[in-house]
Amino acid sequence: MIELINLSWMIGLVAIVILYFVPIKIKSLTAIILIVANVLVTSALAFFVLNGQIVDFIFYGGHLFGDILISMDELSAWFILIINFTCITGILYGAGYLKTQHDSAKKLTFHWILIILLQLSMVWVCMIQHSLLFLIVWEIMSLSSVFLVIFDHHNPKIIKAGINYLVVMHIGMVFLTIGFIWLYFQTGSFSFDAFSTYFETQSNIGLFLVLFIGFGLKAGFVPLHSGLIQGDPAAPSHIAGIMSGVLVKLGIYGIFRVASYLKSDYLLLGEIIITIAVVTGLFGILNAAVHRNLKKMLAYCTVENIGTIGIGIGIGLVGLGSNSPILYYLGFGGALMHVLNHSLLKSLLFFSSGSVFQQTNTSDMEKLGGLIKKMPHTAFVYLLAAIGICGLPPFNGFVSEFLIYSGLIEGVKLNHPNEMILLSVSLAAMSVIGGLSIITFTKSFGTVFLGKARKEFSAEPQEVPLQMLIPQYAIIAVMLSVALVPQFYLQIIGNVIVGLSKSIVVQPPVAFTNYISIMGSISLYSILLIGSIFIFWSIRSFSLKGKSQVTLTTWQNAYLTSSSKMQYTGKSFTKTLSNMFNFIVIERKQYEELQTSEVFPKERKHASHYHDFFEFRFIHVVTNQLIYAANYFKFIQNGRVQSYVLYGIAFIITIFVLTFFNIVT
Amino acid sequence: MISFILIILAATFFTGIIIRTKSIASGRKGPGIFQPLLDVIRLFNKGTVYSETSSFVFQIAPTIYFSSVFVAMLVVPFGQSKGFISFNGDFIFFAYVLGLGKFFSIIGAMDTGSSFGGMGASREALYSMFAEPAFFILMGSLALLTGYTSFQEIFSALHLGSSISYALAVMAAVVFLLIAMIENSRMPLDDTKTHLELTMVHEVMILDNSGFDLGLILSAGYLKFAMYGAIIFNLFSGTIGYKYAIPMFFAMQLLLAFIIGIIESFMARFRMNHNAQFIVVLSSVSLLIFFGALLVSGKFI
Repeated sequence: MIELINLSWMIGLVAIVILYFVPIKIKSLTAIILIVANVLVTSALAFFVLNGQIVDFIFYGGHLFGDILISMDELSAWFILIINFTCITGILYGAGYLKTQHDSAKKLTFHWILIILLQLSMVWVCMIQHSLLFLIVWEIMSLSSVFLVIFDHHNPKIIKAGINYLVVMHIGMVFLTIGFIWLYFQTGSFSFDAFSTYFETQSNIGLFLVLFIGFGLKAGFVPLHSGLIQGDPAAPSHIAGIMSGVLVKLGIYGIFRVASYLKSDYLLLGEIIITIAVVTGLFGILNAAVHRNLKKMLAYCTVENIGTIGIGIGIGLVGLGSNSPILYYLGFGGALMHVLNHSLLKSLLFFSSGSVFQQTNTSDMEKLGGLIKKMPHTAFVYLLAAIGICGLPPFNGFVSEFLIYSGLIEGVKLNHPNEMILLSVSLAAMSVIGGLSIITFTKSFGTVFLGKARKEFSAEPQEVPLQMLIPQYAIIAVMLSVALVPQFYLQIIGNVIVGLSKSIVVQPPVAFTNYISIMGSISLYSILLIGSIFIFWSIRSFSLKGKSQVTLTTWQNAYLTSSSKMQYTGKSFTKTLSNMFNFIVIERKQYEELQTSEVFPKERKHASHYHDFFEFRFIHVVTNQLIYAANYFKFIQNGRVQSYVLYGIAFIITIFVLTFFNIVT
Repeated sequence: MISFILIILAATFFTGIIIRTKSIASGRKGPGIFQPLLDVIRLFNKGTVYSETSSFVFQIAPTIYFSSVFVAMLVVPFGQSKGFISFNGDFIFFAYVLGLGKFFSIIGAMDTGSSFGGMGASREALYSMFAEPAFFILMGSLALLTGYTSFQEIFSALHLGSSISYALAVMAAVVFLLIAMIENSRMPLDDTKTHLELTMVHEVMILDNSGFDLGLILSAGYLKFAMYGAIIFNLFSGTIGYKYAIPMFFAMQLLLAFIIGIIESFMARFRMNHNAQFIVVLSSVSLLIFFGALLVSGKFI
């Protein structure tokens, strides 16, 4: 075991050195081989853990660190397997994606080294049980993702998004540091086990919420989602897939990890998380519905799914607080299942929209259209992922949504009026989220892939090469396995949850076993659904045989000059919705009114943007005030060396005077 | 399985009754009650016309839409006897399977690249999105009231309570009836007889469908009506035996079709932007049911 753990970081270090020296032609191949090696090593460990072996390893980290516990439990194993799978598909897809970019060798070397670092640090974040080292690895992870985001560093917008992402990640880092230092000063230990002793004696709420904010900034809970929605759309598609698919899930991992040590106040914390999560879900999907940039839409959709996962975590905590094992299992189980499903679906969506971007060089939906004829595989993949992410049967999204819905409905039957009302409101919110997801993804699929092309491209879009399609079909295979044999995955999740809470061991209740068998029968009904589609389709084909089939133009209301510009656009598809919620999705238009003096109007421009409610109403207000206040102190930084020396002297004199009068010691 | 057969039987005359009621109310004799069925059979025998813009999505969408209604029908129970599909939380499956059908009917409409298709699709998606919470809050409160989470168990346990539970059942019936009208794009929201594409909702989505596909879409609509009628019947059926339940089922379906016909005859359609408000009212009725259920079960002090 220890050999494997050591092998993992050694492969990482060796990989960085090797990558520097190999020629550019085999750079991506080398990187893939090395990442696969590391994935195999860590996945092997994860499988050992899931089979009941214990992977524990303590090494002495010097005077500062003390004993460092590296341990992998079922929770880590679950996340590590998800991370590894998404990384593998991501780099395979990425290697194909980068082929057309013609980037310099240095840039590619840097890119692959960063991916290796990202994968390594993501896996290690799940294993380290020592807060100081955890923070360091967490920081490596954040930094490598920031540099991966700004791959296209010539584009000023991307640099801006990258800096925004960097700042947000470090605000999160500050909260985590505060939380861990707080823990250290109360218990005198850097080990995660200190949480147990801390939560036993002190109030659970404060520390948990501080760490929740820290991890929530990574995960993207509203109003902390700013980094996520700026960072992910700016990154190249394979990175965006990895980031949206698994990097944000490490925030969820952190919340799970801390929640597992909680000793009291479950109900209150559960209620807080559910409230935040419901707001996150609704806000995320509402924004996703109105945005016309494909990648931005997907990033907002990630925010929505984080909300769904959050609802699951909240239900689990309510279950702990109200002594209801079934809620505990359905809530946490649904959340963990959704982590897997969302990582599959969101990486697939980012990959397929990346293929669209690669071929057309735009992710603006209103410029695309009719791609299903030119890129049938990509369209098919996107369609399946869209159905999955809406949570519709017969795909995997339904499995986790069903668990969370069941948790909510079991919760409504509880005997606590507060939770009952909260959970039934969440039930309504979940259904609204479901309905809005359908609007969002029918809109994006319809505008991008269906109808006619809205714009002529200089190079005709073509289907992407097999190298990029194979990883996507691999994801679909796993999606189908989740949809058709959910029992298998739920058994694993059951094992993860048994050992999850460090304070109470909650044995899986009979009701949960029932739910596992229900999931099994649902997969049968999904097959029934697919089967009935086949049957009706063959009846249809049989009946159409020998009958006339004519192909004509679309009905244009007797207006025969059909133009692709006359198609319904994505924006108008959600216009009614955005008007209805214009207090949340803020639309700003830029245009000049037609003046009465203009007899012959010239060409003019009209632009409209949707602003993020929290950024527009809160964050920008605060930062603008900060900049305004900081302006008054501009004179300090005047660029003259003499002044800076003067500041130094003034500082030394102040210290001297203050110590002389014993004001500071 | 019995519910499945009964729903198909009821679907044969449901829409016919609506049309007949409307024509009598407007002073006409009107077509026979099986005319919609004959229309569909005629369509099934016709050839098809496709738009040159459309792809396989357009061709498969009506089939998937029909199959989703078909599978959803299998979930609906009949009094004491379970539907073919029955498990804890089956109503979630019910709603989401119908959602799949909706997904495909929307993208099918968008596949023609028409100026109108997307318009109707966007409206239908929006309205059904607003109707969704009403359904879930309603089912949640029934689950709270009875302590069960599958259609059949909820409906068989619903009658053991006091007269208040019947009051709740009446409110629930109203909610289901309106959901059925929204799902089928009927009168106060959408005029099936309108002739202007700009004001259509459901009709404009299926402008380019013809022949077998159109027949599938129409018959899915008839089945949907009878399916919601069966759910409403279940709210009142209780533990009575088949001897009375089956005639009661058909009487109920006739009554519902008659009510819908009357509503359609004497109500003007809403202005487009008032529709959403109207649908949100449904959710508030569901919330009333929820609080009623809390009161009845004594969990609310």
